[in-house]
Amino acid sequence: METNALGAKKRNAFNFKKWSRSRNGQQTFIIIAFMIIPLLLLFVFTYLPFGEMVKFSFYDMKYVGRRTWVGLQNYKDVFQRTDCFAALKLSLYYLLGGVLQIILALYLATILSFKVKLGNLFKGCMFFPFLINGIAVGFIFKFFFTRGYVFDTVLQWCGFSLQNLPYWLKDQSVNNFSLMGASIWRYFGQNMVLFIGAIMSVDGSMYEAAELDGANKFQQFIYIILPNIKSIFVLNIMLSVSGSLSAFEPPYVITAGANGTATYFVVMDRIAHTSQKVGLASAMAVVLLGIILILTLLQKLFFKYVFKNAEDDNPKKFKREQRKLAAAKGGAAQ
Amino acid sequence: MKAKRILAAVLAVSTVSLFGCSQQKSTDVSSSGETESGTSSAQSEDLSYANVELGTSYKDLKADIKFISHKTDLVNADYNGKKFADYFAEFNKMYPNIKVNVETITNYVSDTLLRLQGGNDWGDVMMIPAVDKADLSTYFLSYGTLDEMEKQINFARTWEYKNEVYGVPSAANAQGLVYNKRIFKEAGITELPKTPDEFINDLKLIKQKTKATPLYTNYFAQWTMGAWDAYVSGSATGDSKYMNQVLLHKSNPFTNPGDGTGPYNVYKVLYDAAKDGLIEKDYTTTDWESSKAKLNNGDIACMALGSWAFSQIVGAGSHGDDVGYMTFPITINGKQYATAGGDYSYGINVNSSKEKQEASMVFVKWMTEKSGYPFDQQSLPIKAGDTKYPEVFSSFEDVELVVDDPAADGEEDLLNKLNSDSELNINAGGNDKIMKIVEHASNGDESFDDIMKDWNEAWTKAQQKENVTVS
Repeated sequence: METNALGAKKRNAFNFKKWSRSRNGQQTFIIIAFMIIPLLLLFVFTYLPFGEMVKFSFYDMKYVGRRTWVGLQNYKDVFQRTDCFAALKLSLYYLLGGVLQIILALYLATILSFKVKLGNLFKGCMFFPFLINGIAVGFIFKFFFTRGYVFDTVLQWCGFSLQNLPYWLKDQSVNNFSLMGASIWRYFGQNMVLFIGAIMSVDGSMYEAAELDGANKFQQFIYIILPNIKSIFVLNIMLSVSGSLSAFEPPYVITAGANGTATYFVVMDRIAHTSQKVGLASAMAVVLLGIILILTLLQKLFFKYVFKNAEDDNPKKFKREQRKLAAAKGGAAQ
Repeated sequence: MKAKRILAAVLAVSTVSLFGCSQQKSTDVSSSGETESGTSSAQSEDLSYANVELGTSYKDLKADIKFISHKTDLVNADYNGKKFADYFAEFNKMYPNIKVNVETITNYVSDTLLRLQGGNDWGDVMMIPAVDKADLSTYFLSYGTLDEMEKQINFARTWEYKNEVYGVPSAANAQGLVYNKRIFKEAGITELPKTPDEFINDLKLIKQKTKATPLYTNYFAQWTMGAWDAYVSGSATGDSKYMNQVLLHKSNPFTNPGDGTGPYNVYKVLYDAAKDGLIEKDYTTTDWESSKAKLNNGDIACMALGSWAFSQIVGAGSHGDDVGYMTFPITINGKQYATAGGDYSYGINVNSSKEKQEASMVFVKWMTEKSGYPFDQQSLPIKAGDTKYPEVFSSFEDVELVVDDPAADGEEDLLNKLNSDSELNINAGGNDKIMKIVEHASNGDESFDDIMKDWNEAWTKAQQKENVTVS
């Protein structure tokens, strides 16, 4: 065996020049050449800064000036400070918003993937908010929720009196729900478009077969559409969970992160930029990354359990789904 | 093969260019350092602010200078007051051969810092942005020594480093409150409040007798809340050493001193006003631009802002005559004080040619002494000995202005460190802590003394971390 391998190696080395001109060799070169630029960019602009940030999290430092090694002190602070994890509680609001958002998106996507009058117009209208710049959305909603402005006026048309309405952004018992609403408005169109895409790819003959068997629309949805779009469904849930943990724009622009709406990212921004505690903020970022990784893992286990029966029926399909999921995740990451 | 060659070429080019960049940068820095030391020593012999006699010195000097300013409104065609072009025309009557070209920048702070780093040819005069004092001599020409300059201008310490003055303030502000005279009269207030209690009572009167919002916080704009920090030093203590020296070594500085002064009572005014519903009903949706017009026409009775805001509010509507300015209602041993300080200051490019530097020096001195620009801008007088106060300070007759002294030697960075460690960021963008006062007061979920206790704890911890001796 050993001599064989050596011999192969020798032959390879000997023929390197020839190999490099061969079809295989050229192919390899091209693949490497095409890969190296994106990989280089990925490394220089993603992994290298991330590594630096992890390094920063062990220092007591500002952007300029001396740095002192403090070991795990920053991480201890993250867990001991009251504001960091209190901010994570706010994510529950956005998580709830995420659930509503997915239900809404799925419902509308299902309706819109069948023949609907002016379907494309509706799709366009509902996707439109996602195209608006997040800062602009923030300003829109600041005025939307201002006392006596748009939202209050609309509610007054519906018969509410202004005295009974809360201050949407001032009242701490409702202001996070207001922000959640803004966030749903902005992002549900994106979820919906993803769902529509997935539902479109369902084989039409399956509906026909189901109809012949006497299945109604709801049963078609449960037994045909839902299993077929499982991967996109899981993807959307993952996106909304990580999105809710890292919610930033709505609270930052609409309420300036004040008045009990400071999410984890807003707290982090304040610590890093106003108080210049870069090390502590870096540690917060690393902790958040850890939390998101753990949640993603739990989610995967959960869905594996929930969809277990379907997998058992059709193991091949499950593998295909997994690949699709991976591809979709890669796409989303970019 | 081709692909490989291209790849190699790409890599080679990119590494070379990377190298090129870094090398060029390093040479740039060293060369600018050399020229700086060379030129400044040569000039300090004859060119200085004090030696320029307007109308006689450099009368025949011929030069084109470029001036970078933050005052974007002064080049607007529809600006009501005197524009830059008008000032330059007057300047050319005295100095016909010096041509001034102005460039105004909206995003002034960050843009000018980039220009300074971008090279030495940014122009000749600029408003000094937030550079470290130690770097002043790298970029700017010294006007003269501190002793010399203090005879020439007020607020000479604004950009002083190691006894050299690098900036002449274009204007100077005092801290107080903008208020609407008509509303105060309608509420039956005949005398301006002098203590926090009087002030709160007046706000209550305004709420009862008029429809105006007594105190508009401008909470949402955030930076506007910074005015409350500005009162802490001179206005609340009358002590020019308070901000940069006393506060650093004071134990529990946010304790109630019991005599109605000090930081405690500044922030307490805001807390009490918010608690008693004397601020706007929905503070989370305040709007800065419209607030100016609202104060102008009497929908708002007063706002906490520096004196720079006065002229903007006068111009924001048709009732400019109603707008007044008063000092912060704290009285120390029978006397009222107000924090004051220089605004943006003229700095002269240390790397410009000698003629341009001379022309710039003449121009800066003319703007300060002859143009009437500070007065037009409702600023405190800049020229030493000038007693002509603009209208905004008409109620400041008995008020003593307090300019913060710099930190003691070796403690220049200490305030920044304590601010960062304690996360209170006093006079350094710590607006969120002031916003929290408003929130806690309106929601009634934390008493003022508890808030101050938290601040004291944070400050003490920071002092311990930096090993500060506390008294």
